[in-house]
Amino acid sequence: MPSWLRNSRLLVHAPLFIAIWLVLSRLNVMVEPLMSYYLALAAMYATAMFGMVILVGLSGQVSLGNGALMAVGGYVFAVTSLNWQTVPILGMQWNAVWSVIFAGLGGVIAGLIIGLLAARLRGPYLAGLTLGIAVGLPSIAARFPGLLGGSQGLMLTVPYPEGGYATDTAAAIDAAVESDAAALDLALSGTSPVPSDASSGSSDMLTPSDVTGSSSPSDMLTPSDVTGSSSPSDMLTPSDVTGSSSPSDMLTPSDVTGSSSPSDMLTPSDVTGAGSSASADPVPMPSASAISSTPSGTVTDAGFILEQWQASVSIAVACIAGFVALNLVRGRQGRVWKAVRDDPIAAALSGISPAASKVSAFVVSSLFAALAGAVFAQILTYVGPGAYGVALSLSLLVGVVLGGRGSLVGAVIGAVLLVGLPAAVSNLAGDRGWSDQVTNNLPTLAYGLLLVLVVLIAPGGVMGLLGSGWRRLTTRR
Amino acid sequence: MTTFIDYLLGGFSSGAVIALFALALVLVWRSTRIVNFAQVGQAMFTTFIALIVQQATGSWFLALLAGLVAGAILGLIVYALVLRPVQRLDTSGSIIATFGVLISLQALAAMIWGGEPQSFPPPVANDGLEIGGRIWPISWYDVLVYVVTAVLVVALTLLFTRTSLGLSMRASAFNPEVAKLSGIRVNRMLAFGWALAGVVGAVAGVLIAPTASLSPNSFDILLIFAFTAAVVGGLDSLIGAVAFGVGTGLVLALVTGYGEAGDAPIVVLILLAITLVVRPGGAFGRGKSRAV
Amino acid sequence: MLEVKQLSVSFGAVRALDAVSLIVPRGEVTAVIGANGAGKSTLMRTLAGLVKPESGSAELDGAVVTGRSPEDIVRTGMALIPEGRSTIPELTVEENLHLGGLWRPSAERKATSAEIYDMFPVLAERRRMRSDTLSGGERQQLAIGRALMCDPTCLLLDEPSLGLAPLIVTQILQLVNQLAREKNLAVLLVEQNAVTALRVATTGIIMNLGTVVRVGTAEEIAADDELRDAYLGS
Repeated sequence: MPSWLRNSRLLVHAPLFIAIWLVLSRLNVMVEPLMSYYLALAAMYATAMFGMVILVGLSGQVSLGNGALMAVGGYVFAVTSLNWQTVPILGMQWNAVWSVIFAGLGGVIAGLIIGLLAARLRGPYLAGLTLGIAVGLPSIAARFPGLLGGSQGLMLTVPYPEGGYATDTAAAIDAAVESDAAALDLALSGTSPVPSDASSGSSDMLTPSDVTGSSSPSDMLTPSDVTGSSSPSDMLTPSDVTGSSSPSDMLTPSDVTGSSSPSDMLTPSDVTGAGSSASADPVPMPSASAISSTPSGTVTDAGFILEQWQASVSIAVACIAGFVALNLVRGRQGRVWKAVRDDPIAAALSGISPAASKVSAFVVSSLFAALAGAVFAQILTYVGPGAYGVALSLSLLVGVVLGGRGSLVGAVIGAVLLVGLPAAVSNLAGDRGWSDQVTNNLPTLAYGLLLVLVVLIAPGGVMGLLGSGWRRLTTRR
Repeated sequence: MTTFIDYLLGGFSSGAVIALFALALVLVWRSTRIVNFAQVGQAMFTTFIALIVQQATGSWFLALLAGLVAGAILGLIVYALVLRPVQRLDTSGSIIATFGVLISLQALAAMIWGGEPQSFPPPVANDGLEIGGRIWPISWYDVLVYVVTAVLVVALTLLFTRTSLGLSMRASAFNPEVAKLSGIRVNRMLAFGWALAGVVGAVAGVLIAPTASLSPNSFDILLIFAFTAAVVGGLDSLIGAVAFGVGTGLVLALVTGYGEAGDAPIVVLILLAITLVVRPGGAFGRGKSRAV
Repeated sequence: MLEVKQLSVSFGAVRALDAVSLIVPRGEVTAVIGANGAGKSTLMRTLAGLVKPESGSAELDGAVVTGRSPEDIVRTGMALIPEGRSTIPELTVEENLHLGGLWRPSAERKATSAEIYDMFPVLAERRRMRSDTLSGGERQQLAIGRALMCDPTCLLLDEPSLGLAPLIVTQILQLVNQLAREKNLAVLLVEQNAVTALRVATTGIIMNLGTVVRVGTAEEIAADDELRDAYLGS
């Protein structure tokens, strides 16, 4: 075997990722639509978090702003797929793949700019800049209501492989309303159908006031977020901070996993919103349907189940991103990143440019973030400033820390935790007789305490724990 | 011109509160080299406690006092339980830990007091003052905010520059080992820094609450503005934090006044980016920050 | 008098100090010399309370200091001037000096600082300036001054010659010798620069790999070429 082939990690990694892709794809068509939806979310998070592993774990730069880079990808995906569908590229017909590629390009450019800004900055200053980006960048969208849909965002159709698919809004609303309650229950309450609570939740869900109610706390996967007071553009004014409508929920990661966590749905304010459902919807919401109908297992006219199609796209992107990430991490570039992280001066003396290394980590993580953002856009069938808020950025950090900062497998574990934890905690809380106010906030509390505990007890996250457990097993005398 | 002055006056109030939060961040940074993301969460929590006291006694002053005490205690708790063990870790470890505390505090507050915004009555009228036949966007309450902020800033500056306690705190922050070898009880000083930051945060929370509403997440956005102000000010500088805190408030007011409210964060981001590109250690950072 | 008995320190599997015993009498300088990694700095840091000993003890005038915190040890009258730049650059000369005695009543503190300014006039001239404007030798004076602020009976000096010009080193070490005699201090001096250190010391102690290999008068050790070749490599 020639040495270049023997040394090539491609040989090992490519079959590995093809195998993972095959398994996940098979899984995707075997499970219920809701699980496919979760699968899509988890794969999307994993894609973005591969970038976080490289940036935070390997390159040692803490980013609180990768959610904003996802917004770049999401918006590029949305704008190109909405406006350029008739434009042939390289003689080929427009295809959603082009949008994804453009999204990645957008991410690379954004990452380059931010990386150049960030390369000179130390810990807290870098954190400050990236937090500023997390807040500032998505609200740029509000500046361009024409092209980017303003603070309301843009509705998308899910691009299908065989053309001709378009969502008829009215039909979709009907579908959403008529869609079986069980599926919605599932979507709201977690993996298993929970009786009374969840069904009341679902009925709240379907009232128009809930969808757009200004009193509901933000929950990015629901349309209420889109129009509600929680969109950054609204909330960032000083007066809004003080406004009577509850402002951003932006720092709670449970938001990000959105509709899977009942917490945001069933807060008292939400219930009041539903009670006063007579109040007219102030903002036209053509999109509401698409999102509410998302987890309901709609069979498309192309014969797909919507969630399964979304998940298959998400899984494919995650597998490609994971393959690229693994090759980078295990290759020369991975060693360069680690060398600069551990000792920039020594690295510089060995002929590595610390600045270039830091910028390249930003570019790569930004590319992955943008790809994930594009996938997120097609999962939500929507892009908007609220969907890519600070909560998203921070939840990426949460996921990476929980999984294990320097590990790609850790990123996958973190992604699964981000999607599964809120539901799991709600299930655990179950019927303990606690009030909604308590149970609804349990997942968030669990996130917070877990973060603190992980940093205090297991700074290596789940992967660190597994690693030390493994060492203990293997070194036993 | 008068609208310009109106906007500026409006900006001063929010700027003063942003300055206080920035001050709290700087206090913690100076004592432990940690950016405390939980600061606004602590402030929110203690403001709820102040609100309870206000509702029980009807006294704003007692409420403020309760908020101060609670702020100090909560600062100590967070420091002792979370940050003291974490100090040995890297920057990202402490950022993540304080962020975890923030999330936990917000969830706890939502569990105890619910997510609905509550109003906090002001101690003095919060209506625009009428001077010279026109109503200005400044109230007696705004005046109170300015006075309290100014008093706090002066008191803290004197504490740090003129007292043995302040010197001990600074030495503990700059070089814990030399401070220990000099006989300074460093851990006590660091804990005191956190308690002090908790008090300043609590003051900021109690001051902003009457002009805003109080809910578990209501101070989140202030964290970002205060963080920006503190970072641009150089993180080590009390004066920098106050100056850029007020400055941020003014910029926000002008942008909101002349442009659109949604532009404010973009403008703040641009200011932050420019400052950090020109001076990666903050405007007042690196060597110039000795005096205060 | 500082008396160290069977002091041992380990870092993980590495034994940095192995049953070190020594006596530092008052009124004179005792020099500990040895190559890099001999455990000299560990000895000093353990005595000052920065490193916890595994076993053994150290007594200052009969009071046990091992196992106490650095802050408490300073209060018993033992001050360490650590290796390298131990002044705080962000603080002024005066602030650096006062640090050493902040725990004392302010009247006593002022009296001691006046005394130290008399001893080091250059510090008095620059009291309002930042300490990083001082030269290396002046900074070492400041560090010694800060240690004296706690009115010690025992001074621990870790490599005071580090990074200083030979002439300055001689001045500093002579000053240390003078302090020991005039103030009746027990001075433990750690040095790699054996020749200079032994010139001001009364007793010399040679350490190697965490143990004391030889104790003798400074003259004896300075004269013993074999010892120098074996342990000091120069």
